[in-house]
Amino acid sequence: MTIGINEFIIVSSLLFLIGFLGVILRRNTIIIFMSIELMLNAVNLALVAFSRYNNTMDGSIFVFFIMTVAAAEVAVGLAIIVMIYRQRQTILVNELNQLKG
Amino acid sequence: MDILTNLLSLLFLPLGTSILIIALGKHRKKYAPIVAFMSAIGALSLSYILLRNLPESVHYSWEWLAFGDSKFYIGILLDNIGATMLAMVSIVALCIVTFSIGYMSDDAAKGRFFAGVAFFMFSMTGIILADNLIMIFLFWELVGFSSYLLIGHYFQKEEAKSASQKAFIVNRIGDFGFLIGIILTYWQFGTTNIELLSIQSGIDPSLMSTFIGFLLICGFIGKSAQFPLHVWLPDAMAGPTPVSALIHAATMVAAGIYLLIRIDFILTSQVLLFIAYSGTFVALFAGFCAFAQDDIKRILAYSTLSQLGYMAAIFGMGYSGIALFHLITHAFFKALLFLGAGAVIHACHHEQSIFKMGGLFKKMPITSITFIIGTLALCGVYGFSGFYSKDSILIAANDYNGTLFYFLVFGAFMTAGYMGRLIWIVFFGKANSEAASSAHEVSAVMTVPLILLSGFAIFVGLNAYWPFGLGASIVSDLDHLHHLSGYKEIHKWVLILGSAAWIVGLGVSLIFYGKGSSEDRLQLKFPKVFAFLQGRLWVDELYQYYVNHIQKPVAEFLSFVDEVILRGIIVRGGAGLVGVLGVGFRLLQVGKINNYVLWFFVGLLLFWLYGIDLF
Repeated sequence: MTIGINEFIIVSSLLFLIGFLGVILRRNTIIIFMSIELMLNAVNLALVAFSRYNNTMDGSIFVFFIMTVAAAEVAVGLAIIVMIYRQRQTILVNELNQLKG
Repeated sequence: MDILTNLLSLLFLPLGTSILIIALGKHRKKYAPIVAFMSAIGALSLSYILLRNLPESVHYSWEWLAFGDSKFYIGILLDNIGATMLAMVSIVALCIVTFSIGYMSDDAAKGRFFAGVAFFMFSMTGIILADNLIMIFLFWELVGFSSYLLIGHYFQKEEAKSASQKAFIVNRIGDFGFLIGIILTYWQFGTTNIELLSIQSGIDPSLMSTFIGFLLICGFIGKSAQFPLHVWLPDAMAGPTPVSALIHAATMVAAGIYLLIRIDFILTSQVLLFIAYSGTFVALFAGFCAFAQDDIKRILAYSTLSQLGYMAAIFGMGYSGIALFHLITHAFFKALLFLGAGAVIHACHHEQSIFKMGGLFKKMPITSITFIIGTLALCGVYGFSGFYSKDSILIAANDYNGTLFYFLVFGAFMTAGYMGRLIWIVFFGKANSEAASSAHEVSAVMTVPLILLSGFAIFVGLNAYWPFGLGASIVSDLDHLHHLSGYKEIHKWVLILGSAAWIVGLGVSLIFYGKGSSEDRLQLKFPKVFAFLQGRLWVDELYQYYVNHIQKPVAEFLSFVDEVILRGIIVRGGAGLVGVLGVGFRLLQVGKINNYVLWFFVGLLLFWLYGIDLF
């Protein structure tokens, strides 16, 4: 059995759905953060698969950029989370609701 | 001192005086009269120096505002007509300010009074010196404002309060037409500069428009209290008497005539015809009204109306020079009459009804003699100043139109009649009240201006002897009259009729009213006639009806539109809608980041569905 584009899309969609559900259901900021990374990597997987399928390098190049940006984002995001923890002694999002309208 | 410095200091001296008096603070009461007096002397000296050095005419202009290609200028134009006005205003103002020092001596708000008078002088000088219609309009409004301020001097009295508002509002109506007229003039001629207008209307008479002319004279009708906007002037007598003399007899109401003289070249013959007839009508109408008044100042106010009617009539007949002549002579003798009335009122402890005076001749000889001189000048008795101007008016009227001539002669008869009524009742016979019997001559500070003004009332008619070549346009108009065909016969005929008018008028009033009566015999014998005259053609009642029954429902309807539709539905409704939406959207702000992400995805989904043309 050869693995075609469909299998890649299915795996990618599943990963994205898991990440999405993690973002909207979990309360721990770290977990949410990891879920976001999961979604990014789902997209990366899809992009690489499409790149291979179309025989172009566009998607692969895009993936490099996404990984770079994600790395930078992790550095900033984790720093923010550490600062929040220092300030509030919690990183549960349901307790971080000061901006509620 | 060069001419420009002289002109500017003349213009701004009264303004500075006004500001200085206000800045005096609590010393106002003590120093305001002396400051105002010095300023009036200064203004007169400046005018004297100016007129002595004045060439034919001077014109300065500065750019004021520029909107793209439309440029507006301010400037000073002083020609012979303006110079004549300036001389008259400076002299009359000095006399009246001097008189006010005595008249207002026990007034609590002297500072406000003298500051107002000085401010008025600034505005009036501005009108005289203005070189374009927009600038005239600015000072026109300032004059109206100072008039409002001074009529309302005794603002504690309901009468004065409403009179000042009435004067302001009625003038506003006239000025509205005037403003539109100025705008249309600018549109039509591309300028409002008086000299340029005169050149352009000379080159291309087809630019002149009757419609614009009628709009421009709206300003004159309001300010000079011509029919149908005359209603404010009699009520304006609620102000202090020197104010009535200065503003509502000698200068401000004459500014309307001055405006006409300034712009006479852009008025078409239809406009002139209208002015001639309406002026004659006012001359007669106001004369009739004067018979039914018992307040000495209101009688003089109607007399002023009537004389303004004469000026308007002669202007409409095309003799602007003679209109100016009558304006000048009238200013002096009417200022004299008003100041005389002020002296009488002051002596009688602010009693203004002529039927409560009587027998004042023996008690106040100087006031009485000067008042009688003023009356004789007003009636046009041979040798007095009023004779020369009124005589010329009648000759010109005879040449113009026989009917108007007889109306104007009849007006002269009426003038003598109501002035005779006033003189006989106030100064002769016996005193009719406690106040009148205890009256005594006023102090020198008040009699000296009276004597000065009576000198002018006698001699100012001899315009050939005016200094500095003032009144050149008068001379040219008089020359024109003298060269009319059959001038000698007409002159003789006018002399006979004019003299008959005042002799009969004074005589009949003596016989009919008697000396020092305490009751109005016209009212007793002919109550219906008197009531008719007192009704003054019910113009006031007509306006009252208009305001109550036409303007008020319209205003109420507009108020309904404003309150219910604009404010209720559109403004409040709009705010309410946004508020409800806000309440709805606020429900989304639950404070949980997970929900926000969910909504974010829902939004993304909607965009996506829209993007693939699902809806």
